[in-house]
Amino acid sequence: MLFNSFPFLYLFLPAVVVGYYAVPRHRLRLLLVVLASYYFYAYADWWFPALMAGSTAISFTGGRLLESTRLEQRRKLVLTVGIVGVLALLAYYKYTAFVGGYALSFVHVITQQSFPGLHSFVSSIALPIGISFYTFEGISYMVDVYRGTLRAERDPLRYAFFISFFPHLIAGPIVRYGILQPQLMEKHRFNPDRVRSGLMLFTLGLAKKVLLADPIAQWVDHYLATPGSIGFANAWACAVGFGFQIYFDFSAYSDMALGLARIFGIELPWNFDRPYRSASPTEFWRRWHVTLSTWLRDYLYISLGGNRKGERRRDVNLFVTMGLGGLWHGASLNFVGWGLYHGGLLAGTHHARRRGWGLPRPLAIAATFLLVIIGWVLFRMRSASDIGGVYAGMLGLHGFGGVPGHLVAYVLVAGAVVWFLPESWRLPLAEWSALRVAVVAILFVVSAVSIYTSHPFIYFRF
Amino acid sequence: MRRLALFFATIVVLLGGAAAFDWWVDPFGDIYKPGALTAALNQDPNCLVAQEIVGARYFSFKLDVFHRRPTTRFVVGSSRVLKIQSHPGERTFSNLGFPGSSPETILALFRALPAKPAQTVYIGVEAFWFNRRYSVPVYRPGPYDLAQYLLNRSTFEYAVRYVRQGHYILTHRWKREQVGKSCVIGRLYPSIAWKVDGSRVWSWELAPQTFPPFHAPPYSKDLATVRNGYYDGWTSLDARRMQILEQALELARRRGWRVVGFAPPEPPDYFRLVRANPQLAARWREFLQAMPALFARSGSTWADLSNGRADGCRTSDYPDGFHSDAACSDRIRARLDEVAAR
Repeated sequence: MLFNSFPFLYLFLPAVVVGYYAVPRHRLRLLLVVLASYYFYAYADWWFPALMAGSTAISFTGGRLLESTRLEQRRKLVLTVGIVGVLALLAYYKYTAFVGGYALSFVHVITQQSFPGLHSFVSSIALPIGISFYTFEGISYMVDVYRGTLRAERDPLRYAFFISFFPHLIAGPIVRYGILQPQLMEKHRFNPDRVRSGLMLFTLGLAKKVLLADPIAQWVDHYLATPGSIGFANAWACAVGFGFQIYFDFSAYSDMALGLARIFGIELPWNFDRPYRSASPTEFWRRWHVTLSTWLRDYLYISLGGNRKGERRRDVNLFVTMGLGGLWHGASLNFVGWGLYHGGLLAGTHHARRRGWGLPRPLAIAATFLLVIIGWVLFRMRSASDIGGVYAGMLGLHGFGGVPGHLVAYVLVAGAVVWFLPESWRLPLAEWSALRVAVVAILFVVSAVSIYTSHPFIYFRF
Repeated sequence: MRRLALFFATIVVLLGGAAAFDWWVDPFGDIYKPGALTAALNQDPNCLVAQEIVGARYFSFKLDVFHRRPTTRFVVGSSRVLKIQSHPGERTFSNLGFPGSSPETILALFRALPAKPAQTVYIGVEAFWFNRRYSVPVYRPGPYDLAQYLLNRSTFEYAVRYVRQGHYILTHRWKREQVGKSCVIGRLYPSIAWKVDGSRVWSWELAPQTFPPFHAPPYSKDLATVRNGYYDGWTSLDARRMQILEQALELARRRGWRVVGFAPPEPPDYFRLVRANPQLAARWREFLQAMPALFARSGSTWADLSNGRADGCRTSDYPDGFHSDAACSDRIRARLDEVAAR
């Protein structure tokens, strides 16, 4: 079920919110939200909840065993088994087609055998939406328990709530149990100001998605349909346009998730903090998809040794971390390439900083923006020829071409919003005047009647 | 709390206002407007009702047609029976067929009709109804469909566009217009229209100067394109739809209705195609064998009128190569009356 859909807005959400505050007992409320979240997930495909339940059971059991086991070697074994267990589900559903496809192609080159049955099997494996997100949440929980920074949860209902809570289930933010657990211990009374603030944050996200990301997507998709002949102006407009599209798409989802959770009295971690105002790639990753970048830092980069083992090892760690981060986005080489590109930018930033190279902040922001935009081409285009086509267009190798007026207009509006307005989650929405409340309500109506032409969120694919 | 109430109130008022506006203008014809039929009946002679007013709400329109007339004889079926009309001055005949008909719609229609007075019913049965791949369009939208329609930006945008083209729409949902020699209850683009007996009038019949006649598409044997692909991928008679049709016939029998089923006439080219096409011929034979037995089980009669030529319908009597014209349909009506009288 999409947040930007009729059944969600007019049926599911009102029913769950009313039910939540109507139920007097705290545990019944938790149960209600868990059941609603499983229903929400089953709406995509009936068997997805079974997968989530399996992943939940593995990480919950892993956490309990980690806490009850004293021997370090055995704890390591439990952690490894737990991580492999949840990662196996992700690996099977997300990466079998990718690895199997390449393996079969390789075997075909060597043996001239095509194995059509295997081909159709691996390509028929459907990716359950949200699996990348709840897998990472399960891993972070087990690692935190292993490291002793978190007590294992004894209540399966609370843990099931953590994994399945529908606002963050499909596309994050990637929540850590340490943030959610204290909020699940208390019953949240109905607070009209908090509920209104949540509704308004949700509305601002919905408006970003429907009124900015979707129209930009429409034009970007149109011009990128023929990347082999795209002109200079179109190529740059599309690259910048996609940079804004993905920001508004994903940050919109995050705002909606934060807003929805707030309606239930729960604060989720924010995910974006004006990333296009970053003055370096390092700063960009402290502002872009923050719950993923901090996850990668805390559970992968640091585990690999981080920057504690010398410069060369740090660079390798950055490439490995960002390459795997790219692969997390999708089982495709272009995502790996995008991750490695950012790994290179991060390593380059460290080297430049060590040598004392720097730019005035406005120039550094412009340079970072440019580098990030160049990277988005790798993310957006799937094949090497399409990526090459767009880069050739950006270099002017296909001529200047016409100026895409509509797209440029949207890009200018999007740019103004990005550079001159704060992130929605930073706004003191609970304190807003009646006039502003009414304006947001109007924005809700305009967005809500526009959802039929809306696209699915980009991060649903991951 | 007051600002939360303000938030909801603003949303409810604006969405409610937009929905009411969309409902009134109804740019895509998803809301049935019985007043339009009343307006057509109030004129002497009766006006026609434009297709743009009826929109996709055929089911409601045809039920309304039935109730507004002292109907004792009616025809149901797909768009190919829509030219079967009442004789001049005949008020007891109604055409209750509509595009997208199927056994499901016929059963639903029978259930919605009163049991008395007893009726003489002609059912134009299409062979493609029994191809499982033929999907029946939504003919009775529920409240959820309606809400989706009314709370939709494109509905609103088109409603605004309509009002800009005809300001009177804000106060009157339709107007009486003269199209050719006919009086039509329409709005902005009256072309295809419906008589008050439920039969259909083509645009070029209304105003030959304005609307060009149809041209039949080039003859094709490709089942993927012939008749909108309705026959494509047909592997067996759909038992479920056979059962639903049987339920409709059984309901008619219990009510004491006289039922005649018939296969609507095919243009000569297509009559040959359905009998000779290697993918279609076997299904067609099964269909023609199954129908008489199915109708006989409920005491009804079956008439195979698919060979239009046998009833004097020539290729030129099918203006678009699919639907029979008024002259051919009158002959079919005469045959049906004759079979029913036996």
